[in-house]
Amino acid sequence: MYISYNWLKDFIKLSPKVSPQEIAERLTSHTVEVEGLENQSESFLNIVVGKVLEVKKHPNADRLRLVLVDIKEKKLHIVCGAPNVAEGQLVAVALVGAILPGGLEIKTSEIRGELSEGMICAEDELGLGKDHDGIMVLDKRAKVGEPFSQYLKLDDIIFEVDNKSLSNRPDLLSHYGLARELGVIFDAHLKPYEKVIGEKLEFVNDKKIKFDVVVENKDVCARYMAVRIDNVKISESPVWLKERLISIHQRPVNNIVDITNYVMFECGQPLHAFNADNIKKIIVRLARKNETIETLDGKERALDVNDIVICDNTQPIAIAGVMGGRNSEINDTTHSIILESANFKAATVRKTASRLGLRTEASVRFEKSLDPLLTEDALHRFVSLLKKVCPELKISSELFDVKDKLPELSNIELDFVWLFSKIGQEIPKEQVVSILSKLGFKVVKHKDVLNITIPSWRATKDVKNREDLVEEILRIYGYDNIESSLPTEKLSVPEINQERMMERRIKDVLALKFNLSESYNYSFVGEEQLKKLNIDFFNHLKLANPLSEIHSMLRQSLVPGLVSNIKINQFKDDKLGFFEVGSVFFNAPGEFKKDNETEDVVPYQEKRLGIVMANNESDIFISLKSLVSGFLREIIFQNEVTFSEFENIPGWANKKLVAKISILGKEIGWIGTLNEDASNNLNLKLKVGLVEINLDALIKIILDLAPLRFQEAAKYPAVTRDLAFVIFEEILYNDLKREIISFNSLIKSAELFDIYTGDKLASGEKSLAFHLSFQSDERTLTSSEVDVIQNELVAHLANKFEAKLRNF
Amino acid sequence: MKNRLQAIRAEFLDKLKQAQNLDNLREIELKYLSRKGELSEVMHNLKDLSLELKKELGELANNIKKELENSFEETKKIIGIKDDNKVFVDITLPGEKVDRGHLNPITVIQREMEDLFTSLGFIIADGPELESDYFNFTALNIPPLHPARDMQDTFYVDSKNSDGTLDLVMRTHTSPVQVRTMKKFGAPLKAVIPGRCFRNEATDARHEHTFYQFEGIMIDKNINFANLKSLLEIVGKKLFGPNTKLRMRPKFYPFVEPGNNGEYTCFLCEGKGCRVCKNTGWLEIVGAGLVHPDVLRAGGIDPEQYSGLAFGFGLTRLAMLKYGVNDVRAFNSGDLKFLEQI
Repeated sequence: MYISYNWLKDFIKLSPKVSPQEIAERLTSHTVEVEGLENQSESFLNIVVGKVLEVKKHPNADRLRLVLVDIKEKKLHIVCGAPNVAEGQLVAVALVGAILPGGLEIKTSEIRGELSEGMICAEDELGLGKDHDGIMVLDKRAKVGEPFSQYLKLDDIIFEVDNKSLSNRPDLLSHYGLARELGVIFDAHLKPYEKVIGEKLEFVNDKKIKFDVVVENKDVCARYMAVRIDNVKISESPVWLKERLISIHQRPVNNIVDITNYVMFECGQPLHAFNADNIKKIIVRLARKNETIETLDGKERALDVNDIVICDNTQPIAIAGVMGGRNSEINDTTHSIILESANFKAATVRKTASRLGLRTEASVRFEKSLDPLLTEDALHRFVSLLKKVCPELKISSELFDVKDKLPELSNIELDFVWLFSKIGQEIPKEQVVSILSKLGFKVVKHKDVLNITIPSWRATKDVKNREDLVEEILRIYGYDNIESSLPTEKLSVPEINQERMMERRIKDVLALKFNLSESYNYSFVGEEQLKKLNIDFFNHLKLANPLSEIHSMLRQSLVPGLVSNIKINQFKDDKLGFFEVGSVFFNAPGEFKKDNETEDVVPYQEKRLGIVMANNESDIFISLKSLVSGFLREIIFQNEVTFSEFENIPGWANKKLVAKISILGKEIGWIGTLNEDASNNLNLKLKVGLVEINLDALIKIILDLAPLRFQEAAKYPAVTRDLAFVIFEEILYNDLKREIISFNSLIKSAELFDIYTGDKLASGEKSLAFHLSFQSDERTLTSSEVDVIQNELVAHLANKFEAKLRNF
Repeated sequence: MKNRLQAIRAEFLDKLKQAQNLDNLREIELKYLSRKGELSEVMHNLKDLSLELKKELGELANNIKKELENSFEETKKIIGIKDDNKVFVDITLPGEKVDRGHLNPITVIQREMEDLFTSLGFIIADGPELESDYFNFTALNIPPLHPARDMQDTFYVDSKNSDGTLDLVMRTHTSPVQVRTMKKFGAPLKAVIPGRCFRNEATDARHEHTFYQFEGIMIDKNINFANLKSLLEIVGKKLFGPNTKLRMRPKFYPFVEPGNNGEYTCFLCEGKGCRVCKNTGWLEIVGAGLVHPDVLRAGGIDPEQYSGLAFGFGLTRLAMLKYGVNDVRAFNSGDLKFLEQI
């Protein structure tokens, strides 16, 4: 939003010592951020007033002329193509180095063999109008050699205000509103708006003009004011009006439209002017099913039954608060207008504007809840301005003002003790009263309690309770003037977030001990990506408004992201490893409530730990298993990790190299390798192994563990025997081991130390070699005692698995 | 036998004198001093002698052994130094390459902030990334149709509730966890909430639809604005050094009242003005305020008894500033060239 300093000066006078920079800084400190300052005098740099001394034909071009121009300090030769250039004219000359508003940089050049040392400008080239028929001829007050900006009297400063953060302050979307703030900040007098409006015209009811206003839905239109004005002559606006609008980056249209805009930018109330020709009646109502309207921008708009429309007897002529209709547009031949100054419901206007994708200056203001008292001021201001531009106008209808009882101004009690307890220190009471009064609050003091009346322009959405007043007082008093002090409190022991601490340890172990890098991948996945991995995506939660197809669904696994980490790094190294801790989302009920009232819940979400490893060796499955076992032993002391058959083999996994991971008998995740199909689909050159663990479940297991106890050294020595069993390949290590361990209580451990398949065995056989440890808590075992158990074990395994002892 | 001992002594000392390098020494050691060397052999034979002779020769043998061992060690030292000087060692050669893993820079900066606040007695709170419309907006005093809930900025999940409205969102900030944490722990409460957030905006070097926030909340009797200010000062000093200054500006956030922006003096130019702070000398880092009474109520806390302060900032933005990262997409890229720099 652009704000003109000259415009502000219509309402307040600040000391000339106050620089625009200071205004910008203080507005930013106390009210709203000023994002930029534009000094108009710097806008036509290197463009000066010149006088045409001589015009000659160009020897080589019929349509060009050679012009000699006096710019006081010297005379310039300029090649000019304009038909209207003539001796004696005062013109705008762009000197070498000037950059025109369109971006054109002026350089010394040769045009058809003749030197040109600048450019004589047309109106459009200067960004001052649409005229390109010829050069802009200046009036007599132009002084040869003076900067063009000086001739234009461009001395304004334009503030660029961040209006995105003003969603609570519709009053500040106007010059008058910001002038009011400056009045408080700089302690300057603010001209009352009644005085700005000037003379209020009489409204008389002319019986000859039949015209009526009906508001059908008062709940969406708190107030509708309208008046018919005849004898209007549509023309270009006067210079002062155009200049003001151009200065705040608005395009002038015609006098009527320009004045409606002028009033809106001045006081914040959007106005709309209809061509009155065919309008006998204004009806404000909700749109009907299947109704449409062509808006001023030439687009056909389908209306919704929740949109507010302005209609004549037959059809909609405007979308209330958003944009007018083509059928009632002001055109050059318009003689009569109906002016609307109304208050529409914020939420409704907002809904309509966002559904239609049509955010206009009007809708932006309405959607922030405007003061219903403002319609009156705005209407009077419009009429008085129009009177200046069209003195012959005639008000030909009564002043319609359709409204229910307007809301009464509300009061807030503010107790100084409470106020100071919120601030953390005392500030002078008289200053509190003065700040509030200057902001427009009515303040009545009873001892230490203030009774405060909220002004109508702050009452719509913004100021409701005493907390809001703390902000008003503090921001004007100055946040920087409050002395900081740390809270004093009773010491208490905070509850430690064990899950978070454990997550931290897990990340440390993976990154710092196992040398994996931590990636953060997007929570969103796309169809194509999942297809390549043969992941079924029909049950994935989808975004209603995704940014792109590649991020259209919520991930149910960390795998797609981790695989892409390998993909983008695969040419960097032939040994890669990443991990990620992140949430996955399912189309199933979760644990978190949706709100405070119902039993509804948000979808199930789970924190997972994913690991990916890639290299060009064949044993990626084994190396990844080693890593997982090592990692889990590191965080869960002493407890062995088991890998077992996995039934839900994912589409991307090699069916033979995939397993469930369990710890303490509880399943926590799986390990697998990427199959050839997926690997080819993704153009991966490395072999890829993946692990995904339910981190919530893992952490719960860890936190539920019994505290660590060290074992006392065994009193009696162990006897160890190394035995290698030859078994069929299909017999699982897990099963063999379980059988060995559970065979006799004196067998304390069985540690696998060698696996063999090869020439010396029949095909389909493998040999698993174990260190067996026999030990008793009560006595030293004798060798013969162990022999007996060992023989029984061998016989048992032979019986159970057809296991043979390896004999080579 | 006495002569034999003297002969060994003379021979040993002579050979020691001639020794040139460690190899020679090793030979001498083996020949005379080792367990099966000549000296040991003689000493071994002592056991067959008479008690008297054993005593006399034993003492002699021991003295000679000591003497020879000392001379040997001395010579070894000298030769050792000479020997070392002969071998050239390029001490500038690198060690063997050791694999390294890397934490994401966001994790690192998040931990710094977590550690600061846990040391002040704050708990670390968590909440769901896929949130309900109610907790993401309504409970934070952003009612339906409030301008702050623009569809353009929020990712909605394509699943309608029984009223036919989209009421699931990817959380746009960590603030919904404020209310969930209030409900879980009640007052007094001191909590910080780090986490992933989402905004529906096209990505480029400066914009990311997935980013990380860190926010804090403190609720107790008599929490006031001066408290907020001093906590923000601590945050600034922790982030950017002990000389960092804070200034606060008004800024509207529906869930706090008053609502503020906190700016810190630029850590690069110390407030003089540079490219990073766009020549203002200040960096806009933190949003803050006193918790709105409606938000306390939504969290089941009585605003007549308790008041609260809240503040939040972007971890992503902090990491960019702190590590001089110019492209925000780097954090979610999984690119090792980026990650391995930490």
